[in-house]
Amino acid sequence: MKLTINGITHQVEAEPDTPLLWVLRDELGMTGTKYGCGIAQCGACSVMVDDIVTRACVTPIESLENRRITTIEGIENDPVGKRVVAAWVKHQVPQCGYCQSGQVMAATALLKETPHPGDDEIAAAMVNLCRCGTYNAISAAIHDLAGDERTGQ
Amino acid sequence: MRKLLSVLLPVIVLAAAGVTWFATRVPSSPFDGVAGSQAPSPELIQRGEYIARLADCVGCHGSPDQPPFTGGLEMATPVGSIFATNITPDKETGIGNYSLADFDRAVRHDVARDGHHLYPAMPYPSYAKLSDDDVRALYAYFMHGVKPARHANKASDIPWPLSIRWPLAFWSALFMDHGSHHEQPSENAVWNRGAYLVQGPGHCGACHTPRGLAFNERALDDSNPLFLSGALLDGWYAPSLRGDPNRGLGRWSEDELHQFLKTGRNRHAVVFGSMTDAFNNSTQFMTDEDLRAIAHYLKSLPGDPRRDGPAWHYDPKSNDTLALNARLKTPGAQTFLAKCSFCHGADGRGQGQWFPPLAGAASLMARENASSINVTLNGSKRVVADGIPDAYRMPPFREQLSDRQIADVLSFARSSWGNNGEPVKPEEVKHLRESTDPANSSVIILHMR
Ligand code: HEC
Ligand code: HEC
Ligand code: HEC
Repeated sequence: MKLTINGITHQVEAEPDTPLLWVLRDELGMTGTKYGCGIAQCGACSVMVDDIVTRACVTPIESLENRRITTIEGIENDPVGKRVVAAWVKHQVPQCGYCQSGQVMAATALLKETPHPGDDEIAAAMVNLCRCGTYNAISAAIHDLAGDERTGQ
Repeated sequence: MRKLLSVLLPVIVLAAAGVTWFATRVPSSPFDGVAGSQAPSPELIQRGEYIARLADCVGCHGSPDQPPFTGGLEMATPVGSIFATNITPDKETGIGNYSLADFDRAVRHDVARDGHHLYPAMPYPSYAKLSDDDVRALYAYFMHGVKPARHANKASDIPWPLSIRWPLAFWSALFMDHGSHHEQPSENAVWNRGAYLVQGPGHCGACHTPRGLAFNERALDDSNPLFLSGALLDGWYAPSLRGDPNRGLGRWSEDELHQFLKTGRNRHAVVFGSMTDAFNNSTQFMTDEDLRAIAHYLKSLPGDPRRDGPAWHYDPKSNDTLALNARLKTPGAQTFLAKCSFCHGADGRGQGQWFPPLAGAASLMARENASSINVTLNGSKRVVADGIPDAYRMPPFREQLSDRQIADVLSFARSSWGNNGEPVKPEEVKHLRESTDPANSSVIILHMR
């Protein structure tokens, strides 16, 4: 089966019901996407599929042929993603960092859907968990980006 | 007065004698005086093993940490708990001393070898329809294919006088359809095979047919439209298996039904709740021919539009309430998006056969909302198809979500995408939360498995 990840097409051997997360980490060695809870509750495994945030641990690859998958490894090729990473660095968001590739995915998908989200929209979209409690820093970074005129490009 | 007594007394005595005779009599078996074969052929034993699969004997007479068929499962009756018994051929603790006729009386009637009546926790109202050939094969398997295992039966905790069993004779006289299965000459052989499997060994009605006040199934075959019309049992709602498009199998094809019973999943649904036991132990082992017969038979049972209402159609409008700027305003919508949508799809349509759709799901449209609450609180057990456990499972939300949050998210799902289920109340969630908590003293004890 063929999967297009960060603009590159990969031939993968896994069974059609295999979760995307296993294919990314085990078959393709792209370990930036993390395994957290395995049941779509924490968000550590978030990736984007056609710019929509998706939990790789509960996404069978069967449904992904001819779709555009973006992982943390390719996020800076995306202009919005690049600015999100810059804001994350500016606000020194990560502590242990484990959940942050997922947080960056959620933020990028949000800003791609709506470039200047309000507080309610941020609350509705940013539901990934962080055990270090970096929520204040995440919020500061997102609000910074939400007010940024260039975000919509 | 004396005259009256002299007339009445004999009548009373006679009536009492009649009742005693009736309640203690041993029903006859076509196998009375027939010895079971001492050395049955391997084919007969193998056939018996297959029938034990069809009938899911191990579902109740087995427990995971013990040798097969040694019993132990606790089951509820209106007056207390009983325990499924050891049915290995061990002479002391099992059924090693059962003759073929004794075995027949326990399986197709309701009487154990020592003459005591059995509770209908053992699904003999359905097994009554087993053919003589199938009973003979089952017996050969249990006597020669199952290893004898010493394992003492657990006594029931029912206090005297409620523990007296002869009144059960009247129960079975009233509510059983004695006599074996009859072929319908107007239907073809596939249909008739399906009818036999569903009504007899498969005992699908034990869970899927509504029960009356005496815990009796209200219909034992398709001559009554209540047969397999959906029932609530042990905290799970087993939906209609008739042609109802919303709460039944109206939208399923025969092939899809076959796939569900063989692999545990199809594009409409994935097994959960007490159906997981029926699937893990029984339906997946049925031959393709038998599964096709079951599917063909079930698809011949008409639905009831008065009960089921207008047919479900997907309605995309409800996705508006899930929009980024709207979802915090509708109770349940945000919980759905954050906790459920990644598996069940943000559009409620599931992911192929791996995650069932919530749009159009029977559990969300049934008036009885127990299945939807129970599965959200407690998740589901491993579905093991062909020895391989499933990759994806419904997680338990008991620790994560409050009664109010579960009520809201289910009310949302029950009223979205064209679903027309009534809202769920937090009290209903609270009730099931308590009665499905193993640590609780009033936890549900199974009636059926
Ligand atoms: C839904 C649960 C259930 C299933 C399925 C079931 N049984 Fe039972 N069975 C019971 C229970 C409970 C008892 C004990 C009833 C009682 O004590 O009144 C019992 C009792 C018996 C007995 C009487 C044994 C004795 O002497 O105590 C026999 C024999 C028996 N079952 C055989 C079978 C066979 C064979 C099958 C499959 C064809 C089967 N059962 C399927 C629940 C079940
Ligand atoms: C121990 C109880 C039990 C027995 C026995 C049982 N079922 Fe079920 N069944 C359920 C429950 C509970 C559900 C609802 C959960 C689900 O959909 O898996 C269900 C669901 C189903 C469904 C899916 C319905 C839907 O609309 O999603 C089918 C089909 C089905 N059963 C067929 C059968 C057949 C055929 C038999 C007999 C061979 C059978 N069941 C025996 C309890 C049972
Ligand atoms: C990790 C993935 C996952 C998540 C998250 C999840 N589910 Fe499920 N759900 C499943 C699977 C898989 C099944 C089918 C049973 C099984 O195999 O476990 C299921 C079954 C169900 C059913 C029964 C559907 C039917 O066929 O009748 C309902 C209702 C349900 N889920 C509701 C929810 C709700 C409400 C939430 C959020 C609070 C939720 N689920 C979150 C995976 C998930």
